[in-house]
Amino acid sequence: MKKKFDVKDLITVGVFTALYFVVTFIVACLGFIPIFMVLMPLIGPVFSGIPLMLYFSKIKHFGMVTITGIIIAILMFVTGHPYPIFIFCIGAGLITELVLRAGNYSSIKHCVIGSATFSLWLLGMVIAFFFGFRESYFAYLVDGYGQEYVDAMMGYTPTWVFFAMIVMCLVGGLIGGLLGAKVLNKHFRKAGMI
Amino acid sequence: MSKSWFKLDPRTKLMMLITIGLIMMSGTNVGMDYALRLVCVTLPFVMLLTIGNYRAMIWYVLIFFGAVLFEGLWLTKINGVLNIIVMTFCGVITRFGPGYVFGWYVVRSTSASEFITSMERMHFPGAITIPMAVMFRYFPTLKEDYSSIHDAMRMREIGESVKNPFVYIEYILVPLMMSTVQIANDLSAASLSKGLGVNRKRTHICQIRMTALDYIVVVVMAVMLVLSFVY
Repeated sequence: MKKKFDVKDLITVGVFTALYFVVTFIVACLGFIPIFMVLMPLIGPVFSGIPLMLYFSKIKHFGMVTITGIIIAILMFVTGHPYPIFIFCIGAGLITELVLRAGNYSSIKHCVIGSATFSLWLLGMVIAFFFGFRESYFAYLVDGYGQEYVDAMMGYTPTWVFFAMIVMCLVGGLIGGLLGAKVLNKHFRKAGMI
Repeated sequence: MSKSWFKLDPRTKLMMLITIGLIMMSGTNVGMDYALRLVCVTLPFVMLLTIGNYRAMIWYVLIFFGAVLFEGLWLTKINGVLNIIVMTFCGVITRFGPGYVFGWYVVRSTSASEFITSMERMHFPGAITIPMAVMFRYFPTLKEDYSSIHDAMRMREIGESVKNPFVYIEYILVPLMMSTVQIANDLSAASLSKGLGVNRKRTHICQIRMTALDYIVVVVMAVMLVLSFVY
């Protein structure tokens, strides 16, 4: 294993972050329907976990997952998501980094756990519904989406749901990671691409 | 990429993107905010025009105004779950639409070397800008790959017959992942031959300069941001 962090790694980060982002984005479009918005942290990682596992299998150096986190945060921020997304993305990236390193970047089991911890960044997208952001965000939503939507969303998001969402992220990430591991075994290991 | 008579610096484009994102997400629909939003909605349209991307422009106009009309006409006429779904759909388009379309414009009008050079000028670390440049190059490829996979599936008459969503996703995602691995290898080789791995300050052949036009646009954006926060 090479010790140096080089341009090859940066390119791997770029390509796989693109794939991961696109898959997440497509699944996030389900969020149009309020109940899916709440279930997003569960459904999203299940699908995005598959490319994520392939990405993790390519990672050999500390720092790559965090860069992915930062890039996702930047993309989300410039297209209009509120700033707490940075905290969640970078935090989730760092935790995942530590998990992967604990597995010495080669253990499938740690990759699956990493897939669960990395999906925690999705909480950054829904944080506006909770805690200090809640009141102002809903006041603003009434304006654009109508009272009915806001009532439905408010009904779906009492504070305990935030903690349920943490669990959903982890469970969704685990399922996605296991699916990803299965896909890797079925298609990539045989072809010698890992 | 495309030559344009109305050429902005990538830094200016970034500023515009952030402004549009912030105003579209935070404003209301009355008074000053309304005027600001109107500007933000028009910007992607104008900018797509300047790079001659008429197809994207027409789609943007149709979808965006469709959503606005729907919102205006139907909000009071329907109710229940349907109302919620339609409203959310339109709400997402009217809120995120301009930001995403402008992002598309930025990707289409900025070459990778322009992007990296201007980010370097802003002292952004290469560890972030290089993956981002790769990403922007890769998005269009991803789209092409997807349509190739789709075509291949139709030729073999699989696709509509696959009922299980997980199987369908596997059929799409696995070839995409394969090509991703392939492209990562190709790009690494290309970057080596371009000397990206050398730890030296890179020189640039592309001209990156803030012109008078750029400064005007930046000032206008700053004023818009201030206005949206003050009101």
